[in-house]
Amino acid sequence: MLFSFFLQEGPANTTNYMIAGYAVIFGVMLIYLISLLVRQRNLQKDLEVLEEIQGEEQ
Amino acid sequence: MDSKPRLLTIIDIVTVVLLLIATYMVFFYAPQEAVMGDVQRVFYFHVAAGWVGMLGFIGAAVAGIIYLIKKDRKWDIVGLAAVEIGIVFIFINIVTGSIWARPIWNTWWTWDPRLTTATVMLLIYFAYLMLRQGIEDPDRRARFAAVYAIVGSLSVPLTYFSARIFRTIHPIVIGSGDPNATGSFDMTPMMLQTFMFGLLTFTFIFIDLFWHRIRLGRKADQIEQLRLKTME
Amino acid sequence: MTIESESSYLPEEQGTPAASKVAGFLRAMGAVVWKDLSAELRSRELLSAMLIFALLVILIFNFALDLDPATRREPTITAGVLWVIFVFAGTLGLNRSMAIEKDRGCLDGLLLAPVDRSAIYFGKALGNLVFMLMVEFIVLPIYSLLYNVNLFNPGLLLVILLGSIGYVAVGTLLATMAVQARTRDILLPILLFPVVLPVILAAVKASTGFLDGSEMDVIRPWINLLIAYDIIFSAVAFMVFDYVVEE
Repeated sequence: MLFSFFLQEGPANTTNYMIAGYAVIFGVMLIYLISLLVRQRNLQKDLEVLEEIQGEEQ
Repeated sequence: MDSKPRLLTIIDIVTVVLLLIATYMVFFYAPQEAVMGDVQRVFYFHVAAGWVGMLGFIGAAVAGIIYLIKKDRKWDIVGLAAVEIGIVFIFINIVTGSIWARPIWNTWWTWDPRLTTATVMLLIYFAYLMLRQGIEDPDRRARFAAVYAIVGSLSVPLTYFSARIFRTIHPIVIGSGDPNATGSFDMTPMMLQTFMFGLLTFTFIFIDLFWHRIRLGRKADQIEQLRLKTME
Repeated sequence: MTIESESSYLPEEQGTPAASKVAGFLRAMGAVVWKDLSAELRSRELLSAMLIFALLVILIFNFALDLDPATRREPTITAGVLWVIFVFAGTLGLNRSMAIEKDRGCLDGLLLAPVDRSAIYFGKALGNLVFMLMVEFIVLPIYSLLYNVNLFNPGLLLVILLGSIGYVAVGTLLATMAVQARTRDILLPILLFPVVLPVILAAVKASTGFLDGSEMDVIRPWINLLIAYDIIFSAVAFMVFDYVVEE
């Protein structure tokens, strides 16, 4: 029944949903952080290559 | 690229510490809600993530306006950084809300004004990214992105306003209370403290990520310039 | 064309400044609208494409929603189907109308002309509005005929006018951006639909109200909202239009 747990005594057992929720929160934040790090590293590499090329030209 | 500023390192550390404390408060300090049980704990970071999403999108619109006035590429980088962080956190906000709604509203999704608005916000800023991808000339890309960020940020509150005239079942925990909203609850002082601390923590997360993303954008811009120079 | 006849199109710099400025603005705007309309009268490609597209959408809805006589007279269904038709046909028209400008280099020509950029915006928007209204007022009787519902309700016509103004106001701006992008064939709906959603929402609600025969008290807030959105979107689009045509 809809909202049946409102009729029961004590809090509903919704621990799994809480775990899922926080898994999403920390998971997504972690993924974004990793993506920032990866992009940062790739850019750093590009920068070094470009600087090398420029150095050779001069 | 200039080396990492000291202040940024300090903010990094403060943010991590705050996040650890906030997480501890959510799980161990805040009491269990009497009806909904543990899933109510999602609420703290759910709202905080929504707050960061809002900050990101307001930031994008402001950066857009400043860009159009000053025509300085710096503000285009800021705008893109704000949109990207906004997307990440509004996504967290929507998904956690959906997870909370499953046991409480007995459905993953309803077309409630807030849910609709959050979704529209996400779609607008995905469109923003697609618009950027479609334009090669950096100056035109920056101008169009700024215009779209302004128009988009205008549409978001209007969508909320329109959708709001319908009856909503989304609980408004802060401010006014419609006691009929399913899943609303009164916060105890400890819950309120946890909630406020969560907001503070996420504000720091926003500042920290924003700064890092802007630095990243500046670096990408620098490389683009360098590449153009090398190709000549 | 001689130089004298060309200069007669230019807004007059002398004389009473304010009045001549307004006159010049209106003249430039009228010229843009007239250019679009006369080109369309000759080729008719935009209108016929929009119309055939609208008819096809009606056809698809007939089968997709299995509109039997009972449900098809539901005001919610009618208003919803009508607005879906208008929105999609409108996108088609907006994209085409701006793509023509871009491809034939008309946009650059217009920008070189010594007229206020906002006159170009209002001219294009007005032209697009005329096309959209034409399609709508052909679709309405066809829809009434095919589904046996009476759509000739002055209130509904007002809502369609107001909704189209809001749609075209923001659509013209976004279409101008979309046609300048590499991905222009797919970009416009993606840019436009989420932004224009509040207008569509209010328009559908108000249309349903009129078809329903609801009390004015129920409909009025939606009409007011539509008017407010029209003003907000036109004003903002007008303010930022300069930046999307600038080179």
